[in-house]
Amino acid sequence: MDQKNFIVAIVLSVVIIMGWQTLFPAKTPPPQQQTTQATSPNGTPSAPASAPGAPAATPAAAPQKVMTLDEALAAQGPRVTFNTDQLLGSIALKGARIDDVRLAKQRETIDPNSPPVPVLSPVGTEHPYYAEFGWSASDPNVKLPGPDTLWTAGNPSVVPGKPVRLTWDNGQGLIFALDVALDEFFMFDVRQSVENKSDKPVTVFPWSLIVRYGEPKAEGIYILHEGPYGVFNGSLKEFSYSDFKDNKQQKISTTGGWVGITDKYWMATLVPDQQSKVDVSIKSTGSGADLKYQIDYVAPGKEIAPGATAATDARLFAGAKIVKLIDAYEKKYGIEKFDLTIDWGWFWFFTKPLFWLLEWLYGQLGNFGVAILVLTVLVKAVFFPLANKSYAAMSKMKALQPEMEKLKERYGEDRQRMNQELMQLYRREKVNPAAGCLPIVVQIPVFFALYKVLYTTIEMRHQPFFGWIKDLSAPDPATILTGFGFIHWQVPEILHFFNIGVWPLIMGVTMYLQQKLNPAPADPVQARVFQFLPILFTFMMAPFSAGLVIYWAWSNTLSIAQQYSIMRRHGTPIGSKAATKAKPVAAVPAPANGGSTSKKGGKAKKG
Amino acid sequence: MTCHARLAPASANRQFPGRMLSLALRGAIRFYQLTLAYFFVGACRYEPSCSAYAAEAVARHGALRGSWLAAHRLCRCGTRRGRGYAPVTSSLSCSPVKVR
Repeated sequence: MDQKNFIVAIVLSVVIIMGWQTLFPAKTPPPQQQTTQATSPNGTPSAPASAPGAPAATPAAAPQKVMTLDEALAAQGPRVTFNTDQLLGSIALKGARIDDVRLAKQRETIDPNSPPVPVLSPVGTEHPYYAEFGWSASDPNVKLPGPDTLWTAGNPSVVPGKPVRLTWDNGQGLIFALDVALDEFFMFDVRQSVENKSDKPVTVFPWSLIVRYGEPKAEGIYILHEGPYGVFNGSLKEFSYSDFKDNKQQKISTTGGWVGITDKYWMATLVPDQQSKVDVSIKSTGSGADLKYQIDYVAPGKEIAPGATAATDARLFAGAKIVKLIDAYEKKYGIEKFDLTIDWGWFWFFTKPLFWLLEWLYGQLGNFGVAILVLTVLVKAVFFPLANKSYAAMSKMKALQPEMEKLKERYGEDRQRMNQELMQLYRREKVNPAAGCLPIVVQIPVFFALYKVLYTTIEMRHQPFFGWIKDLSAPDPATILTGFGFIHWQVPEILHFFNIGVWPLIMGVTMYLQQKLNPAPADPVQARVFQFLPILFTFMMAPFSAGLVIYWAWSNTLSIAQQYSIMRRHGTPIGSKAATKAKPVAAVPAPANGGSTSKKGGKAKKG
Repeated sequence: MTCHARLAPASANRQFPGRMLSLALRGAIRFYQLTLAYFFVGACRYEPSCSAYAAEAVARHGALRGSWLAAHRLCRCGTRRGRGYAPVTSSLSCSPVKVR
């Protein structure tokens, strides 16, 4: 039994340590993956190192005027548009650049009339962010399409099931074509093909890239990864923007997988052909106002004989990281570990099932807040018998507290003796042992996983609960300093700590009530500190997502109900005044047996 | 009480780094007792509680041996047979203290 528990303990410790490292990762730079870069296949002379960089830094960084989206879109000439249920935006024909992708179903704020969330934005706007598809060539004399190339579009728009063909003739007998298809959601299918009408063979290297200007404002919290990442040769690598400080770069060769840049809820991710080996590079260029991050990959070179055409497939996911959708794409296109685009954390084996359960409950109940409440009931039900046992023990202990005080008074000096007497008392009063810490320990992962799910998954974004809670993933907006939501003003940063919402207050009250039911700890310092903890936790939980605070308040309420009914059944007095009332019970602590027990105590010392 | 007397010189002789480590551990245990232990009120099967046991074990047997004892104590929590008064002993045996 001991051995088994010891092993369990070791496993748990490892899990906790790993969890800790996920939460608070050591800030060590990741190992430099300086794998051999783009060694030209089949001995093709001097293959290009990588995709071309982002357009050269604008000289002298003259303070550019930030344009509105409409201005920026107009500034770049003709476009191919798309407007599906999920996505709206356009592709610039200049440079064949996918630089305008907005999410029709996701709005900037909880107001449904607020602007759609942009995933990709054109140059000229505040945060340019775009994807391009092109070619490099080993022969420098081959004219290739560049960022200023004006492509010709087959139709003015893309609709699901009807791709658009962009073509460009390089004047040397090479016809470059991009067939861009868009599905009902967020996946762009891009077929890069070259037709060789010249009389000599040519070798081209198709590439795809994503460029993002400036370092985005990240949540800056260790619990969630934001920044460049990818699955390379089957393993996930997450980078932070700072890993590429001073124009550092990473070069990784991979077969299968994906590479992208993610925000909390959205991402732009490139998916190469899963069968061919590609050379990925992630880097930053420029600095200050010109800082850009670029991820790209170069696909294997294609030698195209005169009269032949060669094509390569690439995919771009630009949209919201909806769990079901991501999983569906993984299956449909066989994208290796595409599910890891969502940061489930080290406890994915627990976080993800919890999410599924929550989403299923949501499907049945129609509200994620109610789903959380029901989930809590389910968790409580699993541990109901164990908790019952614990509460029964606690209830008895609380009833015996005055007697214990007496023992302490009498044998305070002799700890050994006092404890012997205490055991006698437990035996006489038939106090069963508590269930131990296990029932409490098991609730920690639930709490953590729920926190992670509420924080990470887009499904929780802008999900309402009853009353004033319009977004379970955000802190309770009805805060003290805004008159519980009636006064609208910008609360200064320094006062945020005191700006507590209604639900955190409710949670604090439930914690306080629960404490009243528990026996006070024997250690007087501990007892005094614990009295303040409900207040401290109220402050601490205030900035957390409302869903989590509601979970905790509800969980406490259920516990209180269970504990209260057990105490009533046991006739244990409730509240602190009870101590005096219970006094008559504490009649005889029976010191007579003292002798025999201390003998056992001596044995215990040796054992 | 002989037990205490026997162990006293050992703790006095302890080397500086070991003493620092033991002090740090006891600080961490105290921090736990005043914060997270809140959620474990009433859950203990043993007397003294695991954290109090750990603190005493580290104080009496040093950081390394104390931690080992504390780890074993934690593992005993939840076993059917373990309960009741189980103080830190002078020996390093891992078997649970028998108290009826």
